[in-house]
Amino acid sequence: MLGFLFRRLGDIIPTFFGVTLLVFFLIRLIPGDPILMLAGERGVDAARYAELQAQYGFDQPIIVQYFDYLMGVFQGDLGKSFVTKKPVLDEFLTLFPATVELSIMGILFAVILGVPFGVLAAINRGKWIDHLTMSVSLTGYSMPIFWWALLLIMFFSTTLGWTPVSGRISVMYFFEPVTGFMLIDSLLSGEKGAFTSALSHMILPTVALGTIPMAVIARMTRSSMLEVLGEEYIRVARAKGLAPIRVIMVHALRNALIPVITVIGLQVGVLLAGAILTETIFSWPGIGKWIIEAMNRRDYPTIQGGILMIAFLVMGVNLIVDLLYGIVNPRIRHKR
Amino acid sequence: MALLEVQNLTVEFGSEDKPFRAVDSVSYSVDRGEVLGIVGESGSGKSVSSLAVMGLIDFPGRVTADALTFDGQDLLGMPAKRRREITGKDIAMIFQDPMSALNPCFTVEAQIMEALKVHEGGTKKQRRERTLELLNQVGIPDPKSRMTAYPHQLSGGMSQRIVIAMAIACKPRLLIADEPTTALDVTIQAQIIDLLLKLQEDSDMGLILITHDLALVSEAANRIQVMYAGQLFESGPADSIFAAPRHPYTQALLEALPERSEGHDRLRTIPGVVPGQYDRPTGCLLAPRCRYANESCITARPEVRDFNGRDVRCFYPLNDQGQPTGLTADMATGENV
Amino acid sequence: MSENTTPSAAPAANVAEPIGAPPSPLRETWDYFRKNRGAYVGLMVIAFILFLALTAQWIAPFDPIAQDRTAFLKPPVWMEGGDPRYLLGTDAVGRDILSRLIHGAQLSVSIGVFVVILSMISGICLGMVAGYFRGWVEVCIMRLMDIMLALPSLIMALAIVAILGPGLENAMLAIAIVQLPHYVRLTRASVVSELNKEYVIASQIAGAGHMRQMFVNILPNCMAPLIVQGTLGISSAILDAAALGFLGLGAQPPLPEWGTMLSEAREFVGSAWWVITFPGLCILVTVLAFNLMGDGLRDALDPKMKR
Repeated sequence: MLGFLFRRLGDIIPTFFGVTLLVFFLIRLIPGDPILMLAGERGVDAARYAELQAQYGFDQPIIVQYFDYLMGVFQGDLGKSFVTKKPVLDEFLTLFPATVELSIMGILFAVILGVPFGVLAAINRGKWIDHLTMSVSLTGYSMPIFWWALLLIMFFSTTLGWTPVSGRISVMYFFEPVTGFMLIDSLLSGEKGAFTSALSHMILPTVALGTIPMAVIARMTRSSMLEVLGEEYIRVARAKGLAPIRVIMVHALRNALIPVITVIGLQVGVLLAGAILTETIFSWPGIGKWIIEAMNRRDYPTIQGGILMIAFLVMGVNLIVDLLYGIVNPRIRHKR
Repeated sequence: MALLEVQNLTVEFGSEDKPFRAVDSVSYSVDRGEVLGIVGESGSGKSVSSLAVMGLIDFPGRVTADALTFDGQDLLGMPAKRRREITGKDIAMIFQDPMSALNPCFTVEAQIMEALKVHEGGTKKQRRERTLELLNQVGIPDPKSRMTAYPHQLSGGMSQRIVIAMAIACKPRLLIADEPTTALDVTIQAQIIDLLLKLQEDSDMGLILITHDLALVSEAANRIQVMYAGQLFESGPADSIFAAPRHPYTQALLEALPERSEGHDRLRTIPGVVPGQYDRPTGCLLAPRCRYANESCITARPEVRDFNGRDVRCFYPLNDQGQPTGLTADMATGENV
Repeated sequence: MSENTTPSAAPAANVAEPIGAPPSPLRETWDYFRKNRGAYVGLMVIAFILFLALTAQWIAPFDPIAQDRTAFLKPPVWMEGGDPRYLLGTDAVGRDILSRLIHGAQLSVSIGVFVVILSMISGICLGMVAGYFRGWVEVCIMRLMDIMLALPSLIMALAIVAILGPGLENAMLAIAIVQLPHYVRLTRASVVSELNKEYVIASQIAGAGHMRQMFVNILPNCMAPLIVQGTLGISSAILDAAALGFLGLGAQPPLPEWGTMLSEAREFVGSAWWVITFPGLCILVTVLAFNLMGDGLRDALDPKMKR
């Protein structure tokens, strides 16, 4: 098992460096002089220019700049935002919990709905419920997420008035963040109605964000389940006289879910991309919205740092999913 | 009264108007302590008939029978829940490929203990002890360490022993073994068969041994049933069938055994293939391949009749010399082979 | 009696009629595809959209960027206040939504096709080179692909567009780059598995050069999964282009790209549902059609599915 872990890490490390390289050069490729960008409209004279150049290390050869940057990354220094002048990493960490909370809720939504849909479809193969769930699923991942979000708002917020349109909690409430997770913090604050407010703000973004992963998970569960149900050991389980429910929920599901775990992991990348769009529409103060604003404002350190952190996040999650897969699949667990 | 009584069992697949009969009006019975060998080529329906007895034929298959009783109880009419109580407990089945018969996610002990839990109950400790006992019974060396093993860590022979242990866990009165040794090495095959026969003798169990291997069945079975393309062709005591087969198919099967080709230049085979779904002959199913076939064999389908104490489905069953009876000189078309 | 001859003529009447010659692979694939109703419907819808795209100039009732200042935010014709000239209503600056949607079809189809062709051709070349030459060439190329895949696709597309600047062409280029690793991986995997097959070795012995081996011998056998991926790639491209348009980084107004139309419609969530619903519906139907067709192709081309 440990060998498996080390091998995975070994794969990741070159990719890690590759990503830093990619991001570094990507940003360098953006047209325009970063120093002029920094100086803003005030313009800059030759002396100030040289000063800024030295301060930001732009006078060094590109390789040195890259290594300086790399060293910075290891020490947690991702540069400072051109706009707010605050360290990029700090801003990231402040906004990160909001996105994490939304993503977790999104994945929960996707799994809680997707897996049962997939199982139902597989057990009732060819019948109407199979066609229904798979059609819904297909529609789910053919939809543009931002349109779906707008439709949800149109219907539930504007027409029915059931849910709010933006933000994480009603502006009436203000309390110091403890965990950064609004659902938890609102409970901890003890203020009346805070939790309900947080919850109602959470619903639409969760549904919007979680729909595509739900659709993918449902499909994957169905096909995995169908494959497992055709296996010999399922027939043997039935020959043992086990109740059909037990055969499906204990014997089949356990095996069918193994590949689905990988799919769930892959959906994290999709979620983060979706988070960008969802946060923009719902004015959800997370890193998605942060990066888009940075792009519109040409705030290069922020763009660079944000993309890097997201890449690390995705790689980290994939590593965890791989490990989980190794634990859950006994055949891999016992290799060396 | 027989332990298992099967009369005119038919299993159909496909559309209602043009069904495919995987099993066609097959009848047999098994007594306590008796070993019945069911022999046939692939596609003969030998496995499907046992699956029907176990209740493992799913939609869209349709199972019908005049009688399908176990210990006097009607299996077909029984409510599903009651039938599940019998399945795995009083009637058990083991299948061909042991490597895929065990769930890869659960340990050996978990899978055996599950069978015990569902049918017999008892505390975990009791079940664990019984599992150990079972593993000893099936000849697993060092059972204590094997208990916590996962299926992929076991060899083929070992896996099949575990499968057998799982099947006999609740002391079934009838065990159906569907080609239990086909997927195993030759040296292991003999061990597994010996194990099955010993278990059968010790507990006076009824045993149905399904195989395409005649040699296997000649040593093990009390009675033999020969099936072809879903139909029963011949049935009777093992010794007499081997000494004097009454059906041309049985005769040909016996001749095809390598031991019986001594002195000949070539091994004797049966030409042609078993008919599949789309090419069923209109008369006797064997007629295209039978060396004695003539006009009446092609036009009409023979019923199962008693011929000197043996059940045979043939118009011209063979006599003690191996020649077809009732065939006059002008009817014979000569040899087809 | 000891010869293995076939049965004589007399019992021949027993046997069923011969099956006949087997159908050609193309015919067989088409038959399977046609039986899949979803895929067939998808194909019909795509044909319709293609038709719209090709004839947009003549079919659309109005010019998509012409503004009618007397008709801001008119609802669709069947609602109160609707105008029979503007069947699906108008947007905030008085442009006919139906015409914009039809021209949008032209844009989306071009985007999808262009992106996939560009991406597939470069992907196949890279994947072919990686799979065929193996060694450090393969390692380099595949590592680069791994790095590209470490980033979620939209984010990488955003980064590229941030470099190149917003606009339709840049968006298409960005999406093509983002889809590239999928084709490279697919091609490489197919090539590697074909390499060991005997027809390749036989060709080598006969003296075939690298180019011939790669593109004449091996490539045709890898096409099936590539075709499926390409079809699904068109739907991804349309979705991603719409997303970029929505974020203001793709097709710029007044271009009637469906996603861009949605970005302009955001503020009317409470007031003008038609400005939001219709463009999104078009995206949904188009993407759905391509997905259905892609699925149908996958099922039809997958040998395991064939009974």
